[in-house]
Amino acid sequence: MVASMTLGTRLSLLVWACLLAAPLLLDDWGISQVAQYMTYGIFAMSLAFVWGQAGILCFGQAIFFGIGAYLMALTMSDKLPVVAGYQSAGLLLAILVPAATGYILGRILFHGRGLSGAFFAIVTLCAAVIAEVVAQHWRYIGGFNGLFGVPPLRFPGENGVYLEPLQVYYLIAGIGFGIFILLGYLIRSPFGAILAAIRGNEARTAQFGYDTGSFKVLAFTISAAIAGLAGALFTVQFGFVSPALIGFALSTEVLIWTAVGGRMVPMAAFLGAITVRSVESVLSDSLGNYWLMALGALFVVTVVFAPQGLFGAVLSWRRK
Amino acid sequence: MEFFLSVGLDTLNFTLSLLLVTLGLVVIFGLMNVINMAHGEFFLIGAYCVIAIQSAGLPFWLALAVAPALLAVIGLLLEELVIRHVYHRFIDTILATWGVSIALKQTVIVIFGPTSQSVVNPLPGPTEILGIVYPTYRLTIMAISLTLAIAIFLLLYRTYLGLAIRAVIANRAMAGSLGINTRRMDRGTFAFGAALAGFAGAVMAPVMSVDPQMGVGFLIPAFLSILVGGTNSLLGAVLGSGVIGAATTTVAAIWTQVIAQVVVFSLAIIIIRLFPEGLTGRR
Repeated sequence: MVASMTLGTRLSLLVWACLLAAPLLLDDWGISQVAQYMTYGIFAMSLAFVWGQAGILCFGQAIFFGIGAYLMALTMSDKLPVVAGYQSAGLLLAILVPAATGYILGRILFHGRGLSGAFFAIVTLCAAVIAEVVAQHWRYIGGFNGLFGVPPLRFPGENGVYLEPLQVYYLIAGIGFGIFILLGYLIRSPFGAILAAIRGNEARTAQFGYDTGSFKVLAFTISAAIAGLAGALFTVQFGFVSPALIGFALSTEVLIWTAVGGRMVPMAAFLGAITVRSVESVLSDSLGNYWLMALGALFVVTVVFAPQGLFGAVLSWRRK
Repeated sequence: MEFFLSVGLDTLNFTLSLLLVTLGLVVIFGLMNVINMAHGEFFLIGAYCVIAIQSAGLPFWLALAVAPALLAVIGLLLEELVIRHVYHRFIDTILATWGVSIALKQTVIVIFGPTSQSVVNPLPGPTEILGIVYPTYRLTIMAISLTLAIAIFLLLYRTYLGLAIRAVIANRAMAGSLGINTRRMDRGTFAFGAALAGFAGAVMAPVMSVDPQMGVGFLIPAFLSILVGGTNSLLGAVLGSGVIGAATTTVAAIWTQVIAQVVVFSLAIIIIRLFPEGLTGRR
């Protein structure tokens, strides 16, 4: 079975094996750090799917991440009726509501002679700013301060105890691996082939009789659901949410991770997020203000001279 | 009556200020088809030129010459180092210029610090116009913006250079084969657009608190003005600035600035969705 895999697949699995073994070498603090980076990695995979596969450049991906994060926080801190305190309901809401938002937004923007390219990018950028401003001024969800003291995940059951950092780590790794498999499957499926065709030439694909708008909406919805889940996982690790999670800044940050890692391959985007965040935590102390300058420059260099990203070429599933 | 007059004057003021910021953007987008996300930071650097010049003890008006000159040089450098490599990849120009904007903003923070600073108003005091007392400097900004828009219009439609520019917009390959140096045109346009942004930043600096995060606050309304008005004409930019400016000022006068932002952005998204060619564009 291994012999029939491409180099990219084997390397991807090797990375997962390393992530599985990593806690052996890390202390508790390191474990929780890598778990957070993997959460950002899941978020980056959601963007890589819609951007790399369907060719939709979304400048507002954090809208979905933020909705997921806020819903999880509201559920866990008993602010929502009926589902109050049920963590599984919170996770479910954090997947379904962003998906519904993505579906509606996609329907509006892609339907008929919809928006594409730069127009779509600018419109989603605006939508992210709107979401952030609304979150800042909506007192029920905490306004500028956000929501604090969100309890961490528990074991399922009546009086489940809180999960240890190591258990959280493996939960996130497991979910990340599941999404990696799911996206890999989708990309290789007929659906993925149609998305690739839309990316290549949308007019021609429509000419073949495919309702390209609907396929784009579906891809956008899936991506939004994954981003929402990543947001919920973020909340239970950090214990707080703030308007910064839903807006402009995080939307552009995830773009950078994805572009630097490799927009065409979800696994490359995942590693891009982990790499950029790890380098940031090491260098931001010594470089201070110069870190963002370096990151901006790195981003420009990647976009201009290596559109495949740092890992894109190596981790690709396709055969050469 | 007084209320309407003052809201009307505020609207005109906001519209013309927005137009001032939008001009450079529309020149670059119209000719080169480059979405310049670094435009907000060009504007920012223009504003910080004023701060640098005032803290050196030099007169404010000098900044109006220094800012565009500095930005023209920055524009030339960026065109040479970055933009020229992504001309044929439309979407990547957004990302590349976005990266440039992050690096530029951070450079400003390193040099001037992250806190907001204010600039001494060169023309303090009010002027009475139509029975309303209005700040003199704001009236000056309106005059400058109007003059600049008319000058660019004349440049585009009444000179040989303008003819060549319009030829490149209409059909780049044909213009090139008729002997117009499109490469030099692109370089010049990007530098000119950057200089316009720097000039706008310098002019606007006295009426706002200058801080490193303000670039994006001007970038988004400017983009919306272009998209709402229509991407391929100066008239579109004027109309778009008018729509965005009027809507923002009116809603802000009735409710608050925050509601104005949300309402206007949502409205702009709807207009862009319904008229992808812009309000002046052909369907």
